[in-house]
Formats: sequence, C-alpha cells, structure tokens
Amino acid sequence: MSELILVEGVCKRYVTSSGPVDALRDVSLSVGAGEFCTLIGPSGCGKSTLLAVLGGLVSADAGRVAVDGRPVDGPDPRRVATVFQDPGLFPWRTTLENVEFGLELQGVSAVERRRVAADLLGPLGLRDFAAKYPRELSGGMRQRVAIGRALAIDTPIVLMDEPFGALDEQTRVLMGEWLLDIWRRTRKTVVFVTHSLHEALALSTRVAIMTARPGRIKSVLELPMPYPRAMESAEMVALRAKLWGDIRDESLRAMQ
Amino acid sequence: MQTQVVLIRVAILVAALGAWEIVGHTANPALYVPPSAAVPALGRLLALDSYPDLAQHLLLTLREILVAYALAIAAGLGCGFVLGVNRLVGRAYGPILAALYAVPAVVWYPSLMLFFGLDAASKIAFGFLLGFFPITLAVLAGIRQVNPQLLVVARAFGASGVTAFRKVTLPAMLFTLVGGLRTGLALTVIGVIVGEILGSKSGMGSLINHAYGLFRTDDYIALVVVTLVLIVGSDAIASLVERRAQRWTE
Repeated sequence: MSELILVEGVCKRYVTSSGPVDALRDVSLSVGAGEFCTLIGPSGCGKSTLLAVLGGLVSADAGRVAVDGRPVDGPDPRRVATVFQDPGLFPWRTTLENVEFGLELQGVSAVERRRVAADLLGPLGLRDFAAKYPRELSGGMRQRVAIGRALAIDTPIVLMDEPFGALDEQTRVLMGEWLLDIWRRTRKTVVFVTHSLHEALALSTRVAIMTARPGRIKSVLELPMPYPRAMESAEMVALRAKLWGDIRDESLRAMQ
Repeated sequence: MQTQVVLIRVAILVAALGAWEIVGHTANPALYVPPSAAVPALGRLLALDSYPDLAQHLLLTLREILVAYALAIAAGLGCGFVLGVNRLVGRAYGPILAALYAVPAVVWYPSLMLFFGLDAASKIAFGFLLGFFPITLAVLAGIRQVNPQLLVVARAFGASGVTAFRKVTLPAMLFTLVGGLRTGLALTVIGVIVGEILGSKSGMGSLINHAYGLFRTDDYIALVVVTLVLIVGSDAIASLVERRAQRWTE
C-alpha cells in the first residue's frame, strides 16, 4: 500500500493567555491510499489540530507533513478536501450552490460545476433539496451538503473533523452507513476524527488512538474485516472493549 | 393576522386624529390646528396657493438629500472597509468613531454654517455628517460579525484573502450593511431638513420655519405633512431593500 499521507515528528504548541499549550508532541502517522483512518482520543487531545495540520490550515512547529510526496505548506484543494463539525454552509447559497463552492473557486465553468453538483445530489440524498437554503435543512442534511461540497472538488483525500458530532445518535448511525457507502464507491482516502467508538469500529480500516494532551499516537488498531460489520459479533465486541480500555485511560488522564 | 395588524394600525391613526381634533377645538386653535383645519391648508399648499414655489423648495431639499446621501455612502463605505479590513487601524479608530457618533450632531451645525455658508452646501454637509456614522459603523459591525467558520471553510477550499472577502465577507455582512444604509438615509434626511430649519432661505425646512415664524400654524402643519411623506416614503423603499437583503443573508 502506498503512503499517501506521511506525518513525522510533528509538534504544535499554542500560546494562550494562560501560557503555552502543547497540542501535539512528536506525532507520527502514515495513511495509505484508499484507507479510512480514524483518529480517536479524549477531548482536547489534538485530533482536530492534527487534521488542521494535514489540511494546511495550521502549520506545525516541527516535524514533516507530506501529502502525496509533497510537503504541506497551506490548503491544497486539488488534493485535500475538508469537512468540519460545524458544516459552515453559506446561508445565502442554496444546496446546489453550496456544493458548487469549491469548483467555483477553482474557476470551473458555471455549466460544468452545476452538472457535477447536480450529479452529487442523488447519492447525497438531496435531490429534492437542490434549491433549498441551509436554514431549511435538517442537521443531517446540512452535514451531507458539507460532505457534498468536499466531494465535488474530487480530491484523493478527504479530511473529516467530527462531521457527525452534532447529530443525534440515530441520525449519526445512519450517516455513518451512508458515508461508508460513499467511501466504498469513491475509494477516497479518508482521515476521520471522532469521539464515537461505534463510528470508529464500524467505518475504519485503521484506528489511531491519541493520548491526552500533549497529543501523541498511543496505539494503532488495524481493522481488516469486511463491511458492513456485524457490530454485535464477538470479534467486534472484543475489539470495542480493547479500544475503550485504551481510550478510557487517556480520557481519565484528560479529566484530571 | 395581517388584516388584524392593518385594522389596529387604522384604529390607532383614527384615535390619534380624533384626539387631535378634540384638543384642537378645546384649546387655542391658533396653536393646536385640528385636522379639519389642516386638511384645507394641505389642499392650499398642494394647489400652490400658500407657497407657489413649493416645487422648487421640494426639489432643492431632495437634491440636498441625494447629494448628502451619496457622499455619506461613499465616505462611510470607504472608511468602514479601510477600518474593518485593517485590524490595527480599526482598533485604533473604532472607539473614536463611536464616541463622535454619540455626540449630539447639532453641536457641529454652527461651525458647518461658518464653513459652508447659509446655502445648500452647509445642509449637505450636515446631512452627510449624520448619515456617515451609521454607515461606517454598520460596515465595521458587519465585518466583525461574519461567522469565522465560513472564512475557515473558504480558506480550506483555496480562497485567497481577496476571494474570501468577495465570496464570504461581503455577502455575509450584507444585511447589517443594508441596515446601516437605511439608518444612514433616515439620518441624512433629518440632517438636511434640520439644517434648513436652523438657518436657510430655501428648501422644505425653510418653508416650515417661515410658516411657523408667521404663526401660520395650519400651513406649518401642511408643510410638515408633505415633509413626512418624503421621509416615510424614502424609508419605506429602504425597508423593502433591507428585507430583500435579510432573506438573502440568513
């Protein structure tokens, strides 16, 4: 498997009013093409910071970050698309226009970008909502629009920062199934941040568990089993217990 | 619902006019001109009996308002965007602007008359001064209240600073901006008319002042009504524009 994303010895320190905070310390991780790699860990462990570093939105203080062999020195919408927990849809744009946003920035003609966006609405389950504004959509739909906006620019890599974090449990499970379907069809490389053990186990080919602050990769769990996964099987239940064991220690540390 | 609102509104107007009529008849009618006397005066005014050159005065006032408003928009937008985009300058000047806005603007009027004379220029300057502040402050507030997440998204999708400003900041602040433009228009109109009342030989304000000074109270009321129509009309147009902008931004 070729390494699409390479992170080596990355450190990031934020200076806050109450002193410096080590968000990431010596983080190393590699993600192969076509993987669904999940970052999981206690709140404030730097998962989102790591994702922002991968997306070029935040620069690392030390270490090396490379995407597709090239060092990351800023957002690169030709190769990396990002979905945020706050979908950040533009309230004055319709569903279709929001999905078109990235293509518009890349100078794609109006006819072409409309075609691409319209084709995406089907799989997004938003065909009847093309002309609706974000305020007229449910939370799950909004997040699908944001995912559509990321898929529209057709990058090999999609970064997702707790995309379903603000949704209710049921919507969340359904959105996970939907995302899995999209991912298996597009074969994109996904780096996914979540708090949810269920999401991590149901979706990922690999789970990287991060430590409490300062964030490091504590362990990596390979999940080679096929999809869709029977989450109640003895194997998955045992994996869940193991994953929770690892995360629990870190969450306890984070709470202290 | 809508008809109820209209009914209540009509009831309030009828009650106010009725009370006015009663007070006008019981008190000194030279001071409290009742509607029944104001309506004929309005007829005389519109028939160009009481003030034959009404049209010229009205046009002059309109022209002063338009020029003052155009200047206020140009300077307000320019100033607002320079201060809003440049954080350092904005933080330095913002409080000064807000403090100046809090000063009752009338205190500047005598010096404006000294600078610009008794003719249109001083009225335009005063209308400009009143309209300029709300427009500038609306631009500043609009830039400040743009959801930062939207700017992060724009950056992640490859927007440069200029593109993010054009595609995110401008549309996101549109409603606040139009609100400021509406307030600016209302204050510009007030500035011009107050300017004319305080010292002028022509314009609606000067006619109001003239009728009032000669105790022609019924003509005075008629002139105020015409001026009111001018103000309410301009604000109604501005409010329509504002509602369009609100639907767009939210």
